[in-house]
Amino acid sequence: MKLKHAQLDNGLTIIAEVRETAASMAAGFFVRTGARDETPEVSGVSHFLEHMVFKGTALRDSLEVNRQFDSMGANYNAFTSEENTVFYGGVLPEYQDALMDLLCDILRPSLRKEDFDLEKNVILDEIARYQDMPRYRVYEMLLAEYFRPHPLGHSVLGTSESVGSLTREQMLAYFNRRYAANNLTLVGVGNVDFDALVAKATQMCGHWTAAQAGRDVAQVAPQSGQRIVTDANVARQQIALASPAPASQDADRYAAMLAATLLGDVTGSRLYYALVDPALADEASMVYDSLDGTGAFMTFLSCDTEQAARVAEIARRELARFQAEGPAEAELLAAKNKIASGATLKGEVPMGRLTAVGYDWVYRQEYVPLADQIETLFAVTAGQVVDVARKHDLGKTMLVALGPLEKL
Amino acid sequence: MAQGAGGLIKVSERSERFFDEQLPNGLRLLGQQMEQVSSAAMTLIVPAGAAHDPAGLEGAASIICEWSLRGAGQRDTRQLNDALDGLGCQHGESVRSDHIIYSAAQLSRNLGAVIELYADILRRPRLADEAFGPCRDLIEQDLESLQDEPAHKCNLMLRERFYPRPLGASGYGTPESLAAATPEVLRELFRRRFGPAGTILAVAGDIDWPAVRDRVEQLFGDWQAEATAAPAIEPPIGGIEHVAKESAQVHIGLAYPTVTINHEQYYAARLAGMVLSGGAAARLHTELREKRALVYHVSASYHSLKGHAGVFAYAGTRPELAQQTFDMTVGEIRRLADGIEPDEVTRAKTQLKSALVMQGESTGARANALASDFYHLGRVRGLRELSDAIDATQAGDILDHVRRHPAKDFTVLVIGPKPVDTGILDQ
Repeated sequence: MKLKHAQLDNGLTIIAEVRETAASMAAGFFVRTGARDETPEVSGVSHFLEHMVFKGTALRDSLEVNRQFDSMGANYNAFTSEENTVFYGGVLPEYQDALMDLLCDILRPSLRKEDFDLEKNVILDEIARYQDMPRYRVYEMLLAEYFRPHPLGHSVLGTSESVGSLTREQMLAYFNRRYAANNLTLVGVGNVDFDALVAKATQMCGHWTAAQAGRDVAQVAPQSGQRIVTDANVARQQIALASPAPASQDADRYAAMLAATLLGDVTGSRLYYALVDPALADEASMVYDSLDGTGAFMTFLSCDTEQAARVAEIARRELARFQAEGPAEAELLAAKNKIASGATLKGEVPMGRLTAVGYDWVYRQEYVPLADQIETLFAVTAGQVVDVARKHDLGKTMLVALGPLEKL
Repeated sequence: MAQGAGGLIKVSERSERFFDEQLPNGLRLLGQQMEQVSSAAMTLIVPAGAAHDPAGLEGAASIICEWSLRGAGQRDTRQLNDALDGLGCQHGESVRSDHIIYSAAQLSRNLGAVIELYADILRRPRLADEAFGPCRDLIEQDLESLQDEPAHKCNLMLRERFYPRPLGASGYGTPESLAAATPEVLRELFRRRFGPAGTILAVAGDIDWPAVRDRVEQLFGDWQAEATAAPAIEPPIGGIEHVAKESAQVHIGLAYPTVTINHEQYYAARLAGMVLSGGAAARLHTELREKRALVYHVSASYHSLKGHAGVFAYAGTRPELAQQTFDMTVGEIRRLADGIEPDEVTRAKTQLKSALVMQGESTGARANALASDFYHLGRVRGLRELSDAIDATQAGDILDHVRRHPAKDFTVLVIGPKPVDTGILDQ
């Protein structure tokens, strides 16, 4: 396995982790833009734009785009997050040229008004779909409260009002700024013909222009405290907590991954034993969200209303205990084994490596083979893990709750 | 004594190596050796699924599944968890209609040790009284959580109503049936149902077959249990049901019978399904989302139990569009019989074959496929066989299938503020 790298004159970066023996290849455009790069009046534009990328270009209408993806048997999709919009596909190697021809074309969408107006309805339906998911609603609430007033608290979907009032011109202006060539990374993984990839990108993307996309990397001043939203239509009490964590760029991020696994993995973690094992909660998990210039630990709990206050208190107690004592050696080793094993298994399939390779570049302009990352992970000490919990104050949380309760 | 044979099947430059053996006690052991991987995945299926829950004790299989991991052999819960975690075992447990499924993926060097742990879990779980309450409580909470997952609940309820009872059982039970469960009764159910007959252990990846085989024989060779009777079957509930909920979306599920995996028209049915809902260029997505923006999500997929199969469609939409969405979904399903274009057939075949090859890269997916194939067909199917069968299916076969097995006898399940008018089904 080796990393190949090239850059076009307009700043478009092309990288690939090549493995000639893989049965498939995966490729994707990583656009360094997301909800945090929006202003409130265009809330939801990144995600809506992600949809519009599939709605046609000068050469292809949306039906033709769909037909061509399906004709090459592609496993494809796109997603929008707070910081990234990613368009990707996995195909058998013989379809690399067809995939790249299509991906490169659609990244310059026509944004036709009729398509824009029609697709708006799909977005509104997607917003409704997530309205029926209390787990997602509490996650959005958590981001909004924890990061307020920083743009990282913006909703990715937007609201029916903000999306409803979006204009095609606003989207086009956003696109021209954010989808500039120098704000994109083209990533390939697996059985990739790198020379052909670069030749294709040069031919199809060489004329794309650069721009000052930028990003407001103002320091986040996270909120702490509590916010409760009462909704009698929600059956189970949802509780979520957020506290500071290392940024994507910090060397501490490996220790942070371990802390989150130790505290809140779905098996064998502190929260599991304290809450799920005795059935006080049916869900108690923690994740480490590494972002551009900041990070957060996020804990998600789901329980009966009768147990909610106790569950929240126990969760806080476990965070405090971890902050005070750190992990035992045996559980630290187990956490390392779990993470390493999971990453190895995922990485056996090219699609399983695409986001990892892409993010390594987007966030740190580096490529680190998985084996090396696993070695770094195993070198992390218990002391480093507890240092992360203390330095980033695991106890300083913002708590949000959604469900039947009016107070905890 | 070994039965069955390994097979060497060439697919392009690669070869597929399969292994198949049945222990004298009935345990079936399957293996696929894969190149270019460092992991080995295992799938264990035990014929103790939700359909086997006695009347009035629905949900028992789910409790037993959860309970079986609360300590086994010499290890208590924590020691068992620590052992699995220490081996980097990525594991999951689920309850389906026919089976409880245990899956475990790890670096290949740890497979032997993981098999040993699962021998304890299947043969010597502690099933301690003090762990029973929390396990039942968790299933009760999972059941309660379905209120907050209307799309998932719609699909579960649809399956329960579509299949002959109790084959489509969701496994969650009801508050009453869960309350009726006791440690003693469930231990007895476990004792009767967890045994070698009908149990399949499949491994795929970087495996050393002789070593695996020997380890399994050593750990499971003396496993004995009574064979269990198949559940008594009653006709499906079927029909049309509306569950009132003040949700933002209306969740529409509908299902109709189709041919099973061992039917001669199975591949024609799968390809018809791809034309209907294989991707964004397929009929449902194109007509309902692309052209009319009625939905964010609409799909239809093939699902099969032993002896019964159906096409299950789901659409989520806003209330004001629900009627149109329902009518169009039925319309598109029926319209397949009017004709299928050659390029639709080509796309369907490419998609299906491509998905199979890419699935073939995953040790976990292959272990699952081995177990499932053997259960349904009594043998495993390699990539070459699947690919050839797909290629051999002509456009005329697909159309013939759709016309000979038209979509009818629909089961409908709608969750939302108001019911939909299902009159179109009578037309």
